[in-house]
Amino acid sequence: MKAIQLLKISLAILVLVSGLFGCATTQTAPPVDDQAKISSADMAQESEVMGVQDQPLQSENVPSHEMIAGMERIHFNFDQFTLSAEARQTLGQNAKYLNANGTVQVVIEGHCDDRGSDEYNLALGESRALAAKSYLVSLGISAKRLSVISYGEEKPLDNSTGEAAWAQNRRAEFKAVR
Amino acid sequence: MRFWIVSLALFLTLLPGPVLAVTEIEISAPGEQSIPLALTRLIAHEGPQADQFAAEFNEVLNADLDLAGLFHFVDPAAFLSDAQRLGLFSNQVDFSQWRLLGAETLIKGTYTLEGEELKVEARLFDVINRRLLTGRRYVGKVKDVRRMAHAFADQILKELTGEEGPFSARIAYISNQTDNKELWLMDVDGKRPIRLTDHRSIVLNPDFSPRGKEIVFTSYRAGNPDLYRKEIYTGSEAKVSYQQGLNIAGRFAPGEREIALTLSKDGNPEIYLISTSGRISKRITDNWGIDSDPSWSPDGDRIAFISNRQGNPHVFIADVFSRETTRLTRRGNYNATPAWSPKGDRIAFTRQQAGRFDIFTIAADGSDERRLTFGSGNKEHPRWSPDGRFLVYSSDAGGNRAIYVMRADGTGARRLTTLESDCRHPAWSPRW
Repeated sequence: MKAIQLLKISLAILVLVSGLFGCATTQTAPPVDDQAKISSADMAQESEVMGVQDQPLQSENVPSHEMIAGMERIHFNFDQFTLSAEARQTLGQNAKYLNANGTVQVVIEGHCDDRGSDEYNLALGESRALAAKSYLVSLGISAKRLSVISYGEEKPLDNSTGEAAWAQNRRAEFKAVR
Repeated sequence: MRFWIVSLALFLTLLPGPVLAVTEIEISAPGEQSIPLALTRLIAHEGPQADQFAAEFNEVLNADLDLAGLFHFVDPAAFLSDAQRLGLFSNQVDFSQWRLLGAETLIKGTYTLEGEELKVEARLFDVINRRLLTGRRYVGKVKDVRRMAHAFADQILKELTGEEGPFSARIAYISNQTDNKELWLMDVDGKRPIRLTDHRSIVLNPDFSPRGKEIVFTSYRAGNPDLYRKEIYTGSEAKVSYQQGLNIAGRFAPGEREIALTLSKDGNPEIYLISTSGRISKRITDNWGIDSDPSWSPDGDRIAFISNRQGNPHVFIADVFSRETTRLTRRGNYNATPAWSPKGDRIAFTRQQAGRFDIFTIAADGSDERRLTFGSGNKEHPRWSPDGRFLVYSSDAGGNRAIYVMRADGTGARRLTTLESDCRHPAWSPRW
């Protein structure tokens, strides 16, 4: 009799236990520790990034200055802004043109080939333009007529690669300010 | 008495397996250890089936976790019945099935689609110890599914390594897709590109503010390389620095209140600090040579930059307070574009050798130089992810220049942008 009572009690415990812990496939009674590790995120709360609408393409670049027929461009060696003998000769010709055309205002553009850091090349392009400007000033051209801008490697003459293209692109150009 | 013992024994065996020895999963660096992961596809909890969202979530998460380099994936073709079962609580998952496949970690999730609203529940389980590691519930629109997956990838890395992933961030870059170089923004996997500027001129070299709400960049819009600042959410834009000559290579200080940049107003490029309104607060370099490309140490005390003051371009480090300058790189004869890791320990840079640029890193004290990239193409413009795990850079190995990403040790490189346009100057945003 006592044994049967014990059996009943233990069966009751069994039912209780299985009710508490469930079996692996029960869909209810999630363990509390799971919930503590789950967080929520509302993706709609983030602001939208303001993009630019696609607009019909018409090239509206900052008006590039005009080439001056009487002024030749000069070229440089890689990572250099010193003026070669050839460059000095060209600059001498350019100075003659400027002396003969006393009202022309010139912007000297410095350019690089596309090798190297973009920022370093912007600096290098400026150094090239400034070297050309200094030399023209030393030949008697007023500094007030000469301004400089560097385009670094942004405006190559020749888009291909190889020494011929690179040599073309390492240059200073002389353009009329409009 | 015997019944008591039997029922007690039954009682004990019915208890869920007591966690006796909990082994933590420890990973410190990519590539050190590879955890077998079973990545199951989201299943519809209720509401209509929308397999394309489940597939997209899976694809994004897979790519992010693959790049992370911490996992190898259990072949989905081998998955058993539990991959199709809904239960997401740890007592509902049949871990023995996953153990059988050799998986040590498991990702399961469900989605609910109601009109345009998408709810995703995703969970990461420790298969060995049969427990939930982390779970997330995302509510958003259908179009947010990729962001949900990136966010969960970030969460997984946080749970397993203690440091959140960088996948919810964005990458700003310069593309000439509209024929002009403009500023663009994309997800870190190269998807969802969006154009931010319409200058129709030349836009260069973006950098994010430390909180990611703003970008500075250089533009020739007004006929001179000036520095601009743009608010990402409002789209509003202002010229910050427009000194005569160069206003380039702007980099926000870690404190967000100052910007380091290169100015050439005195006829020679030097590094300056300016306020976010453009007022010059300090000159950092003073040298006859070219000084450019500043990159802040994460504590804001030092700035790495490039200078040709000793002949060839090399990386130098200046102390912001004393302005004392030391040379960092000793090898090579053309080193450029330093990028200080957000962890502070290493500096990435490019070096030209044998006519080609490759990416290197060096310890901030000048020791332990390592080459990260090899093979064809010029690799340039390295920038770190906000957690220092990855480097984003540009390479022309595929013909046109494109944006690539790799792990900080140089492994796992992959292209992010198409080869249809020229893309360069990537910058990884802070956590979004």
